[in-house]
Amino acid sequence: MGELLFLALLLPIVTGVLSMFQRTIAAVNIVNLIGSLLISGTLGTIVYKVLVEDVFAYNMLYVDHLSAVFLVIVAVLTFTSILVSISYMEKEVVHGHITFKMLRRYYGLLHLFVFTMIGVLVVENLGLMWVAVEATTLASALLVAFNFNHSALEAAWKYVMVCTVGICLALLGTILLYYAQVNVVGTDFQALSWLDLKRVGSQLDPAIVKLAFIFILIGYGTKVGLAPMHTWLPDAHSQAPAPISGLLSGALLSCAVYVIMRNFIIVQAVINHEFLQYLLIGFGVISIGIAVPFVLVQHDLKRLLAYSSVEHMGIIMLGFGIGTPLAVYGALLHCINHGIAKSVLFYMAGLFTQGYQTKHIARIRGLITAMPYLATLFMITILAITGMPPFSIFISKFIIVGGTFESGRIILGSAVLFLMAGIFAGMMYYCLGMVFGSKPKRRPVAVVTSKPALVAISISVGLVVINGVYIPTWLHEILYMAAKIVVGG
Amino acid sequence: MSILTILLLFTSLGLTRVSKLKTGVNIILIQSFMVGLACAVVGIEAGAMHMYIAAILTAVIKVGLIPYALLSIVEKLEHESEDHPILNSNSTSIAACIAVVLAYSLIDQTLPGAGSRDALATAVAMTLIGLLLIMTRRQAVMQIVGLITMENGIYLVGLSVTKGLPLIIEMGVFFDVLVAVVVLGILTYRLKLAGISTDTSMLKKLKG
Repeated sequence: MGELLFLALLLPIVTGVLSMFQRTIAAVNIVNLIGSLLISGTLGTIVYKVLVEDVFAYNMLYVDHLSAVFLVIVAVLTFTSILVSISYMEKEVVHGHITFKMLRRYYGLLHLFVFTMIGVLVVENLGLMWVAVEATTLASALLVAFNFNHSALEAAWKYVMVCTVGICLALLGTILLYYAQVNVVGTDFQALSWLDLKRVGSQLDPAIVKLAFIFILIGYGTKVGLAPMHTWLPDAHSQAPAPISGLLSGALLSCAVYVIMRNFIIVQAVINHEFLQYLLIGFGVISIGIAVPFVLVQHDLKRLLAYSSVEHMGIIMLGFGIGTPLAVYGALLHCINHGIAKSVLFYMAGLFTQGYQTKHIARIRGLITAMPYLATLFMITILAITGMPPFSIFISKFIIVGGTFESGRIILGSAVLFLMAGIFAGMMYYCLGMVFGSKPKRRPVAVVTSKPALVAISISVGLVVINGVYIPTWLHEILYMAAKIVVGG
Repeated sequence: MSILTILLLFTSLGLTRVSKLKTGVNIILIQSFMVGLACAVVGIEAGAMHMYIAAILTAVIKVGLIPYALLSIVEKLEHESEDHPILNSNSTSIAACIAVVLAYSLIDQTLPGAGSRDALATAVAMTLIGLLLIMTRRQAVMQIVGLITMENGIYLVGLSVTKGLPLIIEMGVFFDVLVAVVVLGILTYRLKLAGISTDTSMLKKLKG
């Protein structure tokens, strides 16, 4: 198991370095195809082993069912985003938007980014987790700025500045948590170790832990994209190359949620639950609410999807905030469902953008005639992401909202449903226009999407549809155990 | 130690009055040097070996590499300076003074009896002043300077309440700070290459 974890950390680096040294596009593609299969395979094996052999701790590395849930997301999204990258970036080179040298740099950075995300999920120490989260920002910042034009630079600047300031606050929180730990067990004793903190959890000084958690929540919450710290998110997600947008939105935001949950498990032993619930629910509902106007009045396809991510992160926080085992289960399931569905939407948005040479919703018309297959899948996923049955997101949203009502928060539940209806209206209005709107005046460039991207998109949409009617036993097991870890403390 | 904290506070207050980018970077250099010194002093007092390593790391990264990188960028930005900050220097100085008072009251309320009161208050004040600089300065380089001040402040908080973090985490933090400044430096340089001013208030294309 220890070897597997090292392998999972090593593979992205090896693949990244190898792709930097290839001479032709075809060679780069093959290296990445094999690399992505190996990375996802390794991550899948780790998840399987957690399921069969229970948790694993070795030195600074640690995986349990909670990390397994998020490893599933990273495994699926790494695979799909690299497949899409192969098609998408090759076309960018052919169209002359980027050079071959930039392509190699792209894959190098992409794998560095994947490496840092896996790092967040497999380290045991809260301090190292902080280091890894900051590293994800830095690795992805250069991907956001990839085109180095005005908009991309602006987005990347905001991204690094806002997230680094946020993450600095999280560091302050982590230091305070360490101070609380030192007061109980003394220095040099497994400093900031998650397991150790959990063990002594109930003896920590509540006042300091409370202060620490506020800083941690605001800090990592910036990274999750919770309102009102979400300002970087729409910019970064809309300016990054499409496969990266998918990874950012699906995997990175989830990783940040994961870190908050790790800290949450520690602090809930000493802080009273009501306070924590109000914090999480508050941030959650504000995030859902703030997304509504921006989804209702939007001109840019990728920004539309980005604001929908803010909404979904809000829903996940709401689920954790409600805090019943069922709601937490729903929130974890929602992380997976949202990750897969949102990433595939970004991939398709990227392909549409390449076809129509614009991100303007108003100028993308008649998708159903231009790209019938993709347009159908797009419509299915849009229905899924807005929470229509029988797709996967409906199930998790239903569980979370159901949990809200069950815990007696009827007004809150109704308000959330009302806000979701607003999001639904906005998304439907714009997407129906794009798919079925009258034929474009300017015909799109002949769009022949190459196989890898189609395969990746089909797999993801397949998962969205299947997960709606059937959750495999192994996934249920992992989610159930993970929810137990979060709730049980 | 108390002399160091006073000097650190002075450097942070001094940053509020800077309009030339080069001066800002030089002050950051002095400030980081003093943070490294504080680190060594704490190391001598506590007799902790790993504090010396942290002090050396501070010297190499924050006094050496980061100012060097920033200065080489500043040299390419001849015509840029912080002429019209969002909050002018006088107001910023007053705000910084309020931050110091705020830091003391914050410390007394939330962390009574944690380490030395003055050092901790200075650390929190530096964090707040750093944040203030990031929010009120238009120039990219000045925002980076604010970020480093903030980071120095947080590092000092760690130093005064827990004698620093464990070494491996500290090394990670140093590495991240270095890379963050390099990434921000690359972005600043690219802004100039793309023919856009490094005045970040020009960055307002993305909206809605």
